[in-house]
Amino acid sequence: MEEVKRLDAELVRRLREFIGVTNGNLDTCNMATLSFLYIYLSLFGSSELPSLTVSVWSELPTAAGLGSSAAYSVCLAAALLCASGAIPAPLKEGDHTARWCQQDLERINSWAFQGEMIIHGNPSGVDNAVGTWGGMLRFLAGKIIPLSRVPLLRILLTNTKVPRSTKVLVARVKDKINKFPTVMTPVLDSVDALSCTCEKVLSEMTCEPITGEHYNILEELIDINQHHLNVMGVGHPSLDTLCRVTLAKGLHSKLTGAGGGGCGITLLRPETDSSVVQTTVQDLKDCGFDCWETSIGGLGVQQHSPLSVKEEVLDILNSY
Amino acid sequence: MQVMDIFVSAPGKAILHGEHAVVHGKVALAVSLNLRTYLHLKGTTTGNVSINLPNIDTFLCYDLSELKQLIPNSCGKMEEVKRLDAELVRRLREFIGVTNGNLDTCNMATLSFLYIYLSLFGSSELPSLTVSVWSELPTAAGLGSSAAYSVCLAAALLCASGAIPAPLKEGDHTARWCQQDLERINSWAFQGEMIIHGNPSGVDNAVGTWGGMLRFLAGKIIPLSRVPLLRILLTNTKVPRSTKVLVARVKDKINKFPTVMTPVLDSVDALSCTCEKVLSEMTCEPITGEHYNILEELIDINQHHLNVMGVGHPSLDTLCRVTLAKGLHSKLTGAGGGGCGITLLRPETDSSVVQTTVQDLKDCGFDCWETSIGGLGVQQHSPLSVKEEVLDILNSY
Repeated sequence: MEEVKRLDAELVRRLREFIGVTNGNLDTCNMATLSFLYIYLSLFGSSELPSLTVSVWSELPTAAGLGSSAAYSVCLAAALLCASGAIPAPLKEGDHTARWCQQDLERINSWAFQGEMIIHGNPSGVDNAVGTWGGMLRFLAGKIIPLSRVPLLRILLTNTKVPRSTKVLVARVKDKINKFPTVMTPVLDSVDALSCTCEKVLSEMTCEPITGEHYNILEELIDINQHHLNVMGVGHPSLDTLCRVTLAKGLHSKLTGAGGGGCGITLLRPETDSSVVQTTVQDLKDCGFDCWETSIGGLGVQQHSPLSVKEEVLDILNSY
Repeated sequence: MQVMDIFVSAPGKAILHGEHAVVHGKVALAVSLNLRTYLHLKGTTTGNVSINLPNIDTFLCYDLSELKQLIPNSCGKMEEVKRLDAELVRRLREFIGVTNGNLDTCNMATLSFLYIYLSLFGSSELPSLTVSVWSELPTAAGLGSSAAYSVCLAAALLCASGAIPAPLKEGDHTARWCQQDLERINSWAFQGEMIIHGNPSGVDNAVGTWGGMLRFLAGKIIPLSRVPLLRILLTNTKVPRSTKVLVARVKDKINKFPTVMTPVLDSVDALSCTCEKVLSEMTCEPITGEHYNILEELIDINQHHLNVMGVGHPSLDTLCRVTLAKGLHSKLTGAGGGGCGITLLRPETDSSVVQTTVQDLKDCGFDCWETSIGGLGVQQHSPLSVKEEVLDILNSY
């Protein structure tokens, strides 16, 4: 049960053969199956295999850069580790939700990362870390550092549904940097400073009373970063539309993830009227986008009492 | 020899790259804008000086006897003086009735003329003459209209006084002055600019004099040897803004987020240098589509940086979006916050596309001209080589 860093390649090969995809690409269904079987067999293989039913419902769109595969892997890891007795179930009588201790979270994260490696080949580990610990984490040169406390921020999450290839976009940025190195290198430095400035402000917001000026700064940083992302060449007309539509309501947005389409986040202020939120969500849907009102910086993986799961989700999960 | 019937024209100015960053010590590229100011000076025997400025509804007539009393004490020097003769300015302000307080456009134009006229002719007999000016440039739009006027005035009056020759030869359509004479023209034009603006950078009159493109860095102005002529659309959103307010806004933003903003200024500096390099290449080797691709990318990047600096405006976003829908790339030019924008046209850009884009921009409520940048500075024209519609206006006085 040790936190192994490398995949058991032999097991992966046998599982691929088992599901009939010896060579070639895995589709979403294959990925989810392989991930499950790998963790299940690794955790239970040394004793009697238990029969069980696993049902999963996600609010996340797939393949949108929003960590849906990692959220799945984290859930699998947490549930199967509990089922195998490797970690305790933290929920006590009367609790709605409960979280694991740091050591157990590290075990969950480790197995979730194995699932991610099966699905993505060479993932950064950021997705499963966020899925496990929640909140916010700093990511630099391969190092992941969870940050102690961050405020919960209300946002709109919008999916333009414009398809794009992350690989192509990453290459486009690289090409632009090579083409105009003296112009582009300072832009990267600016983004670095921007991230650090944002981290500082968010940290302040957990230590002192939150003011309108905190939010003003967050909004300015969002706008600046969005411009820099356009400069890097990962903008898209759909994202311009997203930004313009939200700005018309006084709300500030930026793309999140690969760009070139895909998703964007819009910061809501504590005083943003729910009617304004509703109107903006509708405006974005009228553009053909999907849009959810949600928050960032919230909790990572947790155990729920059945009654504390949203009714609509509970209905779906209970139907199996 | 004094030339007493002369047509001259001078271009306006646009900033191609580096506005706002230049205030913080970065390179800016200023280019001549081929919307021109035309001036006709002719000697008369009326015994007075007539000034006709139909663009600003200003028509003045001064008797020579009135002007004689204003002659400066230290005039007669044709030397390129750097400082204004403050005593002369004071007397002229008193003469036109604006001793204290702000000058309006009419005052500025009058003062500028009288200052140069009296400085150049004061040591001999004042000539009676008529000066008529017609400009294609909007005023107070940051496009160098006052400098184009000052350059025309300086060139025409220096010729009229015999201080510089009129370069136009028989059969020429247009002609330009030699370097030394251009420096004299520029020097006097700068005097005019100081009267109008108080503490001008000198960029506008330098561009009006030499044309082409010049590099501006930390107060130093360097005309660049050769630049290609680039076709553009010049759009005026007509959204009013205060340059002073916008400059302060940028400064505040830099102070608020120094680690974020300082690299942005460095990027603009590098961008101006990269653009200068590409334009220089375009005069040495065959111009390719890739040259234009690079110019367009630099325009887009700079426009984003200007938004980051805080001088964007919804009208400018509209301008950029409308032109981009036709595959054309635009950026604000000058102070931002409204004001003007330039759109690069490619050699292969169809005239029907240009027409449609101009119309789309006009439909947004903007003014829009098809023109070029990097063209010639001040020049003398034969009457026949002045555009017919302009000649008609100038000849009506």
